[in-house]
Amino acid sequence: MLISCNKLKSYIKNSNDIDWQKIWEKFTIRTAEVENVKVVGNTFEKVVIAEIIECEEHPNSDHLHILKVDCGDAEPTQVVCGAPNVRVGLKTAYVRVGGRIDDLEIKARPLRGVLSNGMCCSGREIGISDDHDGILELPESWENGKNIKDYLPIDDIIVEIDNKSLTNRPDLWGHYGIAREICAITNHELLPLELEEIKNDQHDLDIVINNPELCYRYCGLKIDNIRNNKTPLEMQVFLYYVGMRSISLLVDLTNYIMLEMGQPMHAFDARIVKNIEVGLANNGDTYKTLDGIERNLNNEMLMIKNGEEYFGIAGVMGGLDSEILSDTTSTFLESATFHAGNIRRTAAKLGLRTEASARYEKSLDPNMTDIAMKRFVYLLKKENKELIIASNLTDIYPSKIEEETITLDKKTLSIYMGKELEEKIVTNILESLDFKVNVEEDKYNITVPTFRATKDIKIKQDLIEEIARIYGLENFNPKPLKLDLIPIEHETIFNQEYEVKRLLATKFDAHEVHSYIWYDTTLLSNLNVKKDNVKLLGKESNHILRDDLSFSLLNIVKENFKNSNHFKIFEIGTIIKNNQNYRSLSLILADDEKNIEKNYQEAKNIIKYIFKVVKNLDVGFASNINEADYYNDKLGCIITSDKGNLGKMNVLNKSCTNKIAKKKCLVTIDIDFDKFVKIEKQEMTAHEISKYPVVELDYTIKVGKEDKYQIVEEILKNFQSAIIKDQRLLDVYEDEYEKKFTIRYIVGCNEKTLEGKELNDFKIKFIEHIRKNGLDIQE
Amino acid sequence: MKEQLKDLVNKLQMELKNCEKEAEVLNVKSKYLGKKSELNNYLSSIKDMTPEEKKINGPLLNQIKKELEKLVDEKLEVINNQEILDFDDTLPVEVEIGSLHPITIVAKEVTDILKRMGFTVVSGPEMESDYYNFEALNVPKDHPARDMQDTYYLDNGMVLRTQTSDNQIHAMENYGAPLRICAPGRTFRNEDLDANHENTFFQIEGMVIDKGVSIENLLYVMKNVLSELFKKEVSVRLRPGYFPFTEPSYEIDMSCLICGGTGCPTCKHSGYIEMVGSGMVHPNVLKAGGIDPEEYTGFAFGIGLTRLTMMKYKINDIRVLNSGDIRYLKQFNID
Repeated sequence: MLISCNKLKSYIKNSNDIDWQKIWEKFTIRTAEVENVKVVGNTFEKVVIAEIIECEEHPNSDHLHILKVDCGDAEPTQVVCGAPNVRVGLKTAYVRVGGRIDDLEIKARPLRGVLSNGMCCSGREIGISDDHDGILELPESWENGKNIKDYLPIDDIIVEIDNKSLTNRPDLWGHYGIAREICAITNHELLPLELEEIKNDQHDLDIVINNPELCYRYCGLKIDNIRNNKTPLEMQVFLYYVGMRSISLLVDLTNYIMLEMGQPMHAFDARIVKNIEVGLANNGDTYKTLDGIERNLNNEMLMIKNGEEYFGIAGVMGGLDSEILSDTTSTFLESATFHAGNIRRTAAKLGLRTEASARYEKSLDPNMTDIAMKRFVYLLKKENKELIIASNLTDIYPSKIEEETITLDKKTLSIYMGKELEEKIVTNILESLDFKVNVEEDKYNITVPTFRATKDIKIKQDLIEEIARIYGLENFNPKPLKLDLIPIEHETIFNQEYEVKRLLATKFDAHEVHSYIWYDTTLLSNLNVKKDNVKLLGKESNHILRDDLSFSLLNIVKENFKNSNHFKIFEIGTIIKNNQNYRSLSLILADDEKNIEKNYQEAKNIIKYIFKVVKNLDVGFASNINEADYYNDKLGCIITSDKGNLGKMNVLNKSCTNKIAKKKCLVTIDIDFDKFVKIEKQEMTAHEISKYPVVELDYTIKVGKEDKYQIVEEILKNFQSAIIKDQRLLDVYEDEYEKKFTIRYIVGCNEKTLEGKELNDFKIKFIEHIRKNGLDIQE
Repeated sequence: MKEQLKDLVNKLQMELKNCEKEAEVLNVKSKYLGKKSELNNYLSSIKDMTPEEKKINGPLLNQIKKELEKLVDEKLEVINNQEILDFDDTLPVEVEIGSLHPITIVAKEVTDILKRMGFTVVSGPEMESDYYNFEALNVPKDHPARDMQDTYYLDNGMVLRTQTSDNQIHAMENYGAPLRICAPGRTFRNEDLDANHENTFFQIEGMVIDKGVSIENLLYVMKNVLSELFKKEVSVRLRPGYFPFTEPSYEIDMSCLICGGTGCPTCKHSGYIEMVGSGMVHPNVLKAGGIDPEEYTGFAFGIGLTRLTMMKYKINDIRVLNSGDIRYLKQFNID
């Protein structure tokens, strides 16, 4: 929102004591964030009032004129001017020779052979409007030769305040509210607004509110005999500076009141108005707003109706048919308050956020509507001495909002502030913001003005905020929390996630990535995979939440294959299954197809390693029948342990892999991280190391060409002996005829050195066991 | 005999000089000290000597034997300690290491700082109920934050959480007062993507509840967290803000790290950079967490982890963070 300092000054007594450039730093830390402070009106020099006393056509041009202007000097000055509105008697703005417009120095120079001394200016040229159709037309009463700044408030400081920081301050959506804040901050006196009292000795207008829960108050007033609909230049400059276009006096005044007080108003052409009704629209109706666009309505949108016809969308925008026209001399004025949420929803639905709706959605004070009306009449009367008030100020106000009192105990105040404040300081601060304060021994009874009560001041903490900010947030000193030497409860999820991530990155060279919580629907359809899960509302694509983290990482894999042949990526993230959140750790090993075995074994290694290092838990692998058909149906396994199943590893099937990249393999690991976190680290107890030597015994077992190690593993599992310390697969040999596994046993005894006979017995028993199970063994 | 023995010592010394390998030394050792050595012959002859001769030659032989052994051992040590350089020690190595996501690194830094200040790290769900995301946090039904434009609503009636503040309620329910928690996590807003906007980003929430907690405590914690984070003393300022879950609410600005507060393009010439949304916990939020606002007060804060990460690593385009592009991400390494 743009704020004119000239306007603020007009509401503040002794406003020149204030440094209007510097005050905004303080305003930022007291009230709301200031985004920009800009000095305006300094783009030109030596612009004075001049009257055209002679006007001739330029002999060498079809549009230039040769003027003689009186700019207060003894002799008239000759100026060549191209504006279409030049005429004898016109008073305009004129830059003297030696003056300046922006970077252009004005000199005496010939224009098509005729000397031009200086220049006549348009509003745009001196930065007070965007009008460049002709030169400025100034009032006859302005004295020739006087500086234009003597008449118009051109030197100004325009301040931009961040709208977002005003979200909860409906009172700051107009200059007068900002002026009140400045007064509180700088300890100045706020001047009252000048109003026109309305007698109310005539008839009431016919106004009905059908939905008092959505329209809190509606004031109407009819004014006749408005002969002058021209906005004074001074107001035009103000409107332009704060970002509004001047249209006509009646329209400009509604905007002016909104910019001044924050109260949106509407002026209808009174010739059209029959009776006013505020009520909801019908579903399916359409209505053409002032901007000429046909709008679709629904039965939640509040409308202003005239007779049976829609007349405007309440709080958002009026209609074309009720527009003020050039021959309008009689107006019906509206000043009303609506339900903030309703206006916001309507504006959002229509995609039509206006200056009015932006204010209404902040919860405006209904007690402001009649004051705005009186202010309007006061300002209109300045330009139209003969105007006639043609009705009562008709005021439909079903449930009047009264001021309320909040009790703030001194103890709570001092806890929040971290210090005791003197009574007088508290009272002064609150009174400077128009609160009324009644002090008791241990508390303040504070009456809240209604312009603060509609939204932001409801409880004592709201008052503490007021006191703290005007007291000065820079006067607070950092104070440490008191220390309790109590061990704090500990949630380990974050730590464990970090520990595992670090392991994967440092030990296994994997890269952590972040992906979205929803599936890429393009990828799903490319891979011809259907997923059904919780969905985002109102979205057609990328709307299905993921239930398989590693699968959702596939498009990241795809992208990385463009730059790299093999890599590992991982993420610990949320998946949604059965309407529940789960944490999952997924890692994908991406490599050339020929390296599938290496990667498959590496995946197992990673899984075993993580569980061993972080949980001291030995996990195993069990064959898996895949539910998901995007995995290879022969490979893949479940991660098993005595704590139950903890996850799975898989290989993406050929058809999907080929769509990610050709001749590649993708091994995926998915670990249930909620389970992972819940597993206690397995306790370690020390075992004595045997003092006696151990013996390594290697055996080579022959299996069929197609047999897998799993067969041997099962058989070995059933061979038991008290002297076995450890057993492992040492070597795999494979040629075109046979396949052999070399197994190493480490045997020993904690009490003595094993004797030759014991070793021999072991050997005989083992060979017997293998042969009994139908496998051959090399001796 | 004395002369001959001394000669042995000299000869051994000569021969050792020519030895370069351990085996050569051992050969020499065997020659001079082994069973068939000259010395051994002398030693075996002792038993045939007279007591007088024994008295003289015994100690002499022992001394020579020790001398020889010492020479051999010394030579062996020299050889064993020799460095052998038979490879090109100037070949380069390629370090292959993985990488942590930059946000993980920054989240760890922030939580480490807070942990040192006595905060517990907790975490909450990304798919959240309307109650925890809005209602319990005093976000009124009509609040713009609830609009479809900002919030991802789900067809099961839940939402993707719009802020990590849901952790406030979970923590109060789980632990009660007093309380000191922080919660890093992922949050979601329905926004169009560009260099500065993401629909998926990270925040860290903090909350302290105790008897007598004041605005000054909030200021202390924030000043110290930011100073630790940026590894230098920063000044902070409070600015009025508005969040439904805190009252009063404050934006916390930090003195600009680039210009130190004098004003530069980075801080838009204000000297300050907005870092934290914070405030005193709203009594309605305390009540929703089952805590009596007349007995306890508290503060809460939220820091944009994604933004912090971008600041720290000077990342210009937010979209790279969710791109999964290893070429980009791996430069952040492990830190």
